[in-house]
This record gives sequence, structure tokens and C-alpha cells, in this order.
Amino acid sequence: MSAGPDVTMAAPSLETPARPDASGAAWRRLARLKWGVGGAVVFLLIVASAVCAPLISPYDPLEVDIRHRMAPPAWMDGGAWEHLLGTDQVGRDLLSRVIWGGRVSLLAGASTVILSSIIGVCFGLAAGYFGGRTDWIIMTLINVMLTFPFVLLALAVIAVLGPSLSNMVKVLAVTGWPVYARIIRAETLALRERDFIVAAQALGMSHLRIVAGQILPNLVSPIVVVATLQIAQVIILESTLSFLGLGIQPPTPAWGNMLGEGRVYMLNSWWIAAFPGLAIFVTTLVLNLMGNGLRDWLDPHMKL
Amino acid sequence: MNRAAAFGFALLLLVGLALPGPALAQTKDDTVVYAIQSDIDTWDPPGSVLREAIILGYQVFDHLAVRDLKTRKVGPNLAVSWRSLDDTTWEVKLRQGVKFHDGTPFTAKDVKATFDRVLDPAKKMIARGNHAKIKSVEVVDDYTVRFRTDGPYPLFVERMTAQAIASEKVIREKGDEWMQEHPVGTGPYKLVSWQRKQEHLLVRNDDYWGPKPYYKYVRIRIIPEQATQIAELLSGGVDIIKAVPPDQMDVIAKSGAARTAVSPILRTAFIQLDSAARSGPNPFTDKRVRIAVNLAVDQDGIIKHVINGLGDRVATGINPMAFGWDPNLKPYKQDLPRAKKLLAEAGFPNGVDVVFNEGPPTVEPGQIQTDDAAVADMTKAGFRVKRNYTGDNTVFVARAKEGKLGPMFTWSWGYYSVFDADAILYDIFKCGEFYSYYCNKELDDLIISGRSTLDQKKRAEVYVKAQKVLFDDAAYLYKWGLRGVWGISNRVEYSAPPDEIDRMFLVTPRKK
Amino acid sequence: MRRYLLRQLVQLVVVVVGISILAFSILHVIGDPVTLLLPQNAGKEEYARYKHLLGLDQPVWVQYWKFASRAVQGDFGKSWYGNTPAFPLVLERMPPTIYLTLAGLAVALLIALPLGVVAALKRHSIVDTLCTTLAVAGQAMPIFWLGIMLIIIFAVRLKVLPASGYGTWQNFVLPAFCLGAFVAPLTMRLVRSGLIEVMNMEFIKTARSKGVDERMVVIKHAFRNACIPVVTVLGLQFGQLLGGAIITETVFAWPGVATLTVDSIRNQDFPVVQCAVVLLALIIVIVNTAVDVVVGLIDPRIRTGA
Repeated sequence: MSAGPDVTMAAPSLETPARPDASGAAWRRLARLKWGVGGAVVFLLIVASAVCAPLISPYDPLEVDIRHRMAPPAWMDGGAWEHLLGTDQVGRDLLSRVIWGGRVSLLAGASTVILSSIIGVCFGLAAGYFGGRTDWIIMTLINVMLTFPFVLLALAVIAVLGPSLSNMVKVLAVTGWPVYARIIRAETLALRERDFIVAAQALGMSHLRIVAGQILPNLVSPIVVVATLQIAQVIILESTLSFLGLGIQPPTPAWGNMLGEGRVYMLNSWWIAAFPGLAIFVTTLVLNLMGNGLRDWLDPHMKL
Repeated sequence: MNRAAAFGFALLLLVGLALPGPALAQTKDDTVVYAIQSDIDTWDPPGSVLREAIILGYQVFDHLAVRDLKTRKVGPNLAVSWRSLDDTTWEVKLRQGVKFHDGTPFTAKDVKATFDRVLDPAKKMIARGNHAKIKSVEVVDDYTVRFRTDGPYPLFVERMTAQAIASEKVIREKGDEWMQEHPVGTGPYKLVSWQRKQEHLLVRNDDYWGPKPYYKYVRIRIIPEQATQIAELLSGGVDIIKAVPPDQMDVIAKSGAARTAVSPILRTAFIQLDSAARSGPNPFTDKRVRIAVNLAVDQDGIIKHVINGLGDRVATGINPMAFGWDPNLKPYKQDLPRAKKLLAEAGFPNGVDVVFNEGPPTVEPGQIQTDDAAVADMTKAGFRVKRNYTGDNTVFVARAKEGKLGPMFTWSWGYYSVFDADAILYDIFKCGEFYSYYCNKELDDLIISGRSTLDQKKRAEVYVKAQKVLFDDAAYLYKWGLRGVWGISNRVEYSAPPDEIDRMFLVTPRKK
Repeated sequence: MRRYLLRQLVQLVVVVVGISILAFSILHVIGDPVTLLLPQNAGKEEYARYKHLLGLDQPVWVQYWKFASRAVQGDFGKSWYGNTPAFPLVLERMPPTIYLTLAGLAVALLIALPLGVVAALKRHSIVDTLCTTLAVAGQAMPIFWLGIMLIIIFAVRLKVLPASGYGTWQNFVLPAFCLGAFVAPLTMRLVRSGLIEVMNMEFIKTARSKGVDERMVVIKHAFRNACIPVVTVLGLQFGQLLGGAIITETVFAWPGVATLTVDSIRNQDFPVVQCAVVLLALIIVIVNTAVDVVVGLIDPRIRTGA
């Protein structure tokens, strides 16, 4: 839930060029990539299960069966193999809900990130390329948005507009773009001084062509890395909002609202909250690993 | 200068803020801690509909009469005796030697001032409807009061337990606004402090005329989350909690630190349907839709599986413990096909969208869980339910009063602990009352005739008719009579009150 | 120096005004307070009358000016539920939140500083990998999950700390730890990277080549200069801490501003929400400005914009 400057990226490169132990450095680089690759694999599995939810989900996640409510997971006393992870407080199969919940959470994450990256890239490009007053205005805006826990404003807006998936995505996108903007701006600033840009400008190419044709392709790396790490943040933000009752509304399964509903049962039917919580944790973890790995692979010297 | 400036910044910030206020010298041994889920809106009992306001009022105020918890009969309290002089006059003799917390002696004029204030139509007090049959109150002498009623008033004695007696001096000198935060009663405890939405602190009234409470202090903590309440009970932070969800009872029982107690209480739960269209046009103005929703939900299954049998199914809102309950009227049985058919007939062949406003589960054990199951059933019948939860009870009941909670909302009624059908019919089903979303002239006439005769047999007949009207018309979505579930720490001795009024002055430590 | 302070002050005002505009627009532009206040079956005349009564039929900028001029005097209107003025209500709930935030910050530093330093010094060792892994894992954990687990373990099972509430120092332990643990992973990584960056700088190499003892290098030179990014980070973390406080307060039933704001949002009590948002923004901005000032003190180059 870092509504502040995304700090996984503020850590500068971990590599230094002048290390005497060159082979050691290469090995370590690969080792670190190992985590990233592992993370990517797990993440792809999660995405696959979300996409194939209708196929692999054993039950309808909304199907209520109060006769079998609060059944423990299969390996425990009183559990049955029909409900591998047990059932929740109205008898819905937990495994199905976790799978379908992943769908909602990932969808929310992806749409938010796409929206906020588009907004952020536009602003960042404008600030970095045009400089001067445009830059100053945009930077001030970014600073304002980064210093304030915009979760509060997001909550307020949702309270007015009403909790729903689309409102949530809109609000999170609007509060999430500054992160992109800042990084894109930095990269654009660096690129702007490079020879081929200067040459293009001398040739009389329009700004749009320069930006679209020359600068943007070089920004793909940072955009991808930031996007990956942002999805993780959005998932946590979504779960926070849902936990407070202001996100995705039940009975639609989403990891956040499942955790919120299961809170009352932590002392006896702990599995109702534990598995969605685990899902959030694992997904966020692998996204972070994947993001860090991507950054190290694409450009370890990235000024993130 | 510069370092000092930065330091000064920080200091300024902290200096302006006060540290947590000094706690009184209460210790664990002389304090009993009671938890409620939502804070009361006022310490002036007739001004509130909240059960918690009644409960808290009982600690600080006395009433003319009170119910004996063992015999369930109404017995003397501030009144020592009463008799009816004729059909419309009651004479009550008052106890002598009682003082208010501010030292003023209690006399007949306090009773008159209390009732006059509540009955004053200009003040729009919530409790007015309860006592509306009283036309006037006369002071005969310092310790005798006469009540003149508008026709025969069978519930007079029962209703004496439902009016906290305030001080005439306070009413006259301080006024309504002051009274919201400064209760001056004759009761066993006095209010020391109130931190809104956090806690109330009460201290023992050492000049109390009756038996003195064991515990010197009462802390009433407001803990909105049930999970936290249970955690506090188990870790020793709270001694008594109420409305425990039945599926958490085993957690408490197994903990070794606390136990649960169950008692049937005079409260029925139901889901109000806005047939009177107070919140605007909605599907429930059509009787077929109302019957459909009653047929959709498997209430028996919910009682059995979700609240572990801790509920007594009722056909209407009348509780089995209340006078006038008709045991021969059978409740609706789940019939999904018929429900769908009725919906189609009413013009909704493809289902209908409704908003369901839910309040916090402050008095109904397992409310959230049973609502989950009920909504699932409703969805099967074709109702597309959008749920809207409000965590603050003050806000929720305020909206109810203003007619904003339609088309469908959770509600229950504790009858003000008056064991009579009239105590729910008037406030909840009569057209135009604050918390009634139903309007039926036939029923209104029955209600009036029910409270206008002293002949209990006639009254019973009237109430049978009333229940048939309510059932056939499917006024609301009926549920069950509640069993209250309390969580009690093993540190204290306490029994569950069947009238749903927690009396902190009866709590004693458990003998080792 | 004075110019630097002036610039900071100007920025402070600009930011606060910007946030007040945002807070104002949430209610008045996005929502419709009249519909929220009136019963649903109110007629058109009633609607128009209320609108005039609340002053909502005037142009937006007039409304904003009224809001802003009143706000500066401390009048944010009355809470729609309870009829008490919003400003004292919010102010009264500030201290618990501030104390919690400070306590959380202290815990975060207690965890993050030593770990960050060790990880930076012993780069690429097992300790470093462990610390970084913990940090990544820590950032993935939902904060309310942590809070609930803490309550179950320490209050219910072990019975050594209270499960909720406010008033004694014991009440502070679990929430502060929860909040601190939430912010610590990030802080640790920043300390580590900040320290690494400084350690690679020229003057450190110079000191080393002069044969100065390694420990002295770290303590005297590296650390002092690493203070800059760390202090900056602290300032940034304050905003994040307040964000984490929202959840922590909810889980622990902490009587602070965050729970008040969330409740008010749920109850659609907008005067209180507006007031809380503006006041919190003010505090954050003041803290950030203070941090910038302190950083400017430590490193004159920042002041002159080098």
C-alpha cells in the first residue's frame, strides 16, 4: 500500500562496475535472475488459473449451501475432499472463490495499471520532453500527489461514487499515475540530450514523431518494470479497500473482501481468511520478484 | 537559529496536542467492563430508540416499576404501590427518601415533569408513542401521583418499567440539550465521563436507596468489530459482551477464559419492506412481491444451520413471549417456484433489483451471517440484491426515522421490554410512526381497539386478527424470535437477562 | 538560507491549497450533498429550497471561496450526524493518530536502520540476501493480516497485551509494531541503498586509501552523509505511515483520525471528511517541509539547488 513514492524502485542499481570479482558478479546476477524467473513462472500459473477459472473451478463461487457452512479444509478433522480448502460462512467452496477472486483482483490490477501507465507516460513525456514551465507544473502536481496518502482521497471519492469495480479502477488509476510520470520524466530527460534526438530535431521532425518514434521505444523497459511492480501495489490497495468495505462488494469474490468477511472467524474457522490472505501474499511476492528481476535483466542501471 | 527552527516545528506540533487524559484510579478489581458495538446517541433515554440507550439508562436512572428477573412479574421500584381508581385513572404511591445524583430529593413533581416532557408533541420524543395513552399526570401530594388515561389503558403497569424518571429541577433549569450529555437520575451508578465513540465511565452511587452494586466502576467500551469484542473477552479486556454470533460460541466456550449464556429474549427480528413507499417507489409496494420474498428464504434452515437453532420461528413480528401471540398461525414455508411465479405475475419475470440496507449486528446474534444466507436465497428466487452496510447504529436508526432506508432493511424490536403485542404493533406497524414502513388502515383500527380495552380476552381476539392481517399482507419479511447470546468472562458472575437489559449493578466477582 | 525557507513556505501553501481544492471538489462537484441529505421522496421545491439553504446554487468558485475562508478560521461546518462542529471533532482525534504514527516510525527505524546498515556493509553476503528477501516478503504482506495475527497471538493466546483500545502504554505496543513492520521493509531497503551509494563515493575511497580504519570510515563519513537520503525517506514515509495508520487504527479500534475519517466516509458525513483530509494534508506537508529544511541544513548544496 505504498501510496508514497514507489520505493522498490527508488533503490538504485545494485551493481557496481568496478568489482574485481567479475565472474562472481555475473553469477550473482544470474542468481538474482533466478528469483525473477521463478517469480515469473509462479505468476504465469496464477494468471493461467485466473483465466481458466470457469474450467478449473470445482464449484460456482456464488453457490450457497448453508448445510455445509464452515467446513474445514480436506486434510483436517471434519473436512471432505469435495471442498479442498473448506467452505466459508455460507457454505461456498473456498477453493473456487480463491480462484475466481484471483480473476477479479488481477483484472482490477491490470486495468488500473494500464490506465495509470497511459496517464503517467503522457505526463512524464510532456514534463521531460518539453521542460520549462510544463515540467514545473507537472512536477509540482506529482509531488503533491506523492506526498499525500491518496488512499484517503480515494476512499472519499469512492464513498461519493459508490463502491464498485469500475469506480475503484478509475480512482486507483488516478492516484497511481504519478509513479510512472516521475520515472518516465527522468528517463525522457536523459534521452532528450542524446545525439539521435538532437539530430532528429535538427532534421525538423515534428515533436510527435520524435516522441512516438524515438523516445517511446526506449521507455518500454522502465514502463514494463514499473507496471509489474504496480500491479502488486494495486492488488494490495484493492484488498485494503475491500477490507474496509469500500471496494469490490460481496458476494463477488475478491481476495480483499474475503479477508474482511473472514476476519470474524479467525479464531475458529481460520481458513476462511487464511487462504485469500495467502493468495494476496504469494501474488504480491512473485510480482515483486518478477519486477525486480525484470529490472535487473533489462537494465540494471535503470534510474528507478 | 536554523536547528532551533526545525526543532521548534516539531515541538509546536506536539505541544498543541494533549497526551491521553489521566485515567481515574480504577483498578481491575473494582471495575466491570461492558462492551457495546455502537455508541448511544444521547443519555436522555426517551430521546433514543436504541437498545443500548435503554440499557445504559437503567444503570443511571430508576423507573417507577421494574421486572423481577426470576418471576417475570412487574414489581415496585420508585413506585411502591399502585391501583386503578377507575377505568381511566391510576394512582401511584412513590418511595420516600430517594435522592437524585445532585442531591435533590425525589418527589411527585419529578414524575409529572418527566411524563409531561415525553408526552409533549412539540418535543417529538421517540418514546412518546409508548405512553401516548396517558392524557395527563397530576401531583396529589409529594408522594402520590395520578395518571389520567385516554380510555382504558391495559399496559399501564407494564409501561411503568419503560420510562426513566428524570429530575424536574434539571428539566426546568438545564433544558433538553444539556440533558443529552448529563444524565441526572436516581440510579445505582452516576456518569463520570463520556468520550464519544470510545467509552463511558460510571461510578457507584454510594447514596443509592437500593442494594449497592459490588463494582465501584463500570467501563462501557465501544468496540465496533465483533471479532475484536471476542478477542477482548478472551484476553480479559472486557467482562461482558452481547449479541455473540452463535458460530463463535464454541471459541468462547473452549477458551477457558469465558463462557456463553443464552436466554430467549423479547426481541423479534425481521426485514422491513417499504410497502408504504416512504423511500420512494419500490417493488415491495406490490403485495405479491412481498409474499414472494417471504417464500424465497428458508428461514427454518437458517435458524438450524446458521444460528445453531438459537431462534424461535414466528409468523409475524409478534414474539412468543408477548401477550397476544397467536400460536396457531403458521409461518411461511420456503417455496421457490411459487416465489418466482409471484414475481412474474407482479411484472418481474426476469427478476428484480433491490437495495438491502443493513445495520450493525448490535442486538441480533449472527445477523450478518443470517443475512448472507437470506440474500443467497433471495437471489435464487430472482431478487438481485445490492447490499449496503452501515456500521454506525446512530446513523442507521436516524436514516430509518427519516424514511430513507427503503426498499428493504434489517430491523428488530425489543418491545421496550414490555411483554405485549401492542409494544411492537404501534411503533413498527402503525401507519405514520417513525419506524414503521407499513400503512394499513384496517390494522391501525385493530391496534387502537387493542389498547383501548382492559378485557384481556377481547384484546387477545383483536391481536389474532391483527396477526392474520400482517401475515396475509406479508407486511415485512418475518424471521424469528431471538435468543440473546452473551459472552461472560470467568472473572465475574452474571446471568443473561431475559428482558435484554444488562444490569451492571448485579455483576459480582466469581468465587474461586 | 532565508530564500530557501521562503521557497519551502510557498510550496507548502500551494500544496495545501491544491489539496483543499481537491477535498472541496469531492463533495461539491462529484457528489450531490442535497440528495444525500433529503429523504428520497422530497419534491422539487424541497430540493431547490435546500439547495439555496446550503448555498449550493451559487457558482462553484464562490462556494470554494466561502469554504476556504471559513476553513482558515477553523470552521469546517457541522457534522451531518451529531450536529457538533467538524473541526474540534477532528482535532480531538488527532493526538492518538500522531502518537501512533510516531511510535510506528520509531519501530520502523529500530528495525530498518540496523538491518539496512548491516546489509549495506556486508553486501552480497547471506545476511544481505536474507534482509532483502525479508524486505520483499514484508512488502507483500497485507497490513491488516499482520494486525489480526498479532492480536490473536499476543492478546488472545498469550494474553500479554490488550487486544484493542487506547490509554496505557501497553495499548501502543501491538499497533505500533504492526505499523512499523509495515513501513520497515521499504525503509530498510532505502537505508541500504542510500548507504551503498554513499560508500561508493569518491571521498570514501579517498579516506580508505588514506588508511583510515574501516569502522571510522563508516561511522564518521559514510553515515553522516547517508543521513540525507535517510532523512528524506523519513519525510516521505510519514505520508505512507499515515496511510498505514488507516488500517492499523481500524484493526485495533484505535480512536484516531483515520477511523473517524473512514467512519465518516461510510456515513457520507462530508464536512468531517473534508476537514480531516485538509488537516491531515496540512500536517503531512508541514512535516515534509520540516524535513526539507533539515536536509537543507545538513547539506548546503541542496539549498542552493546544486
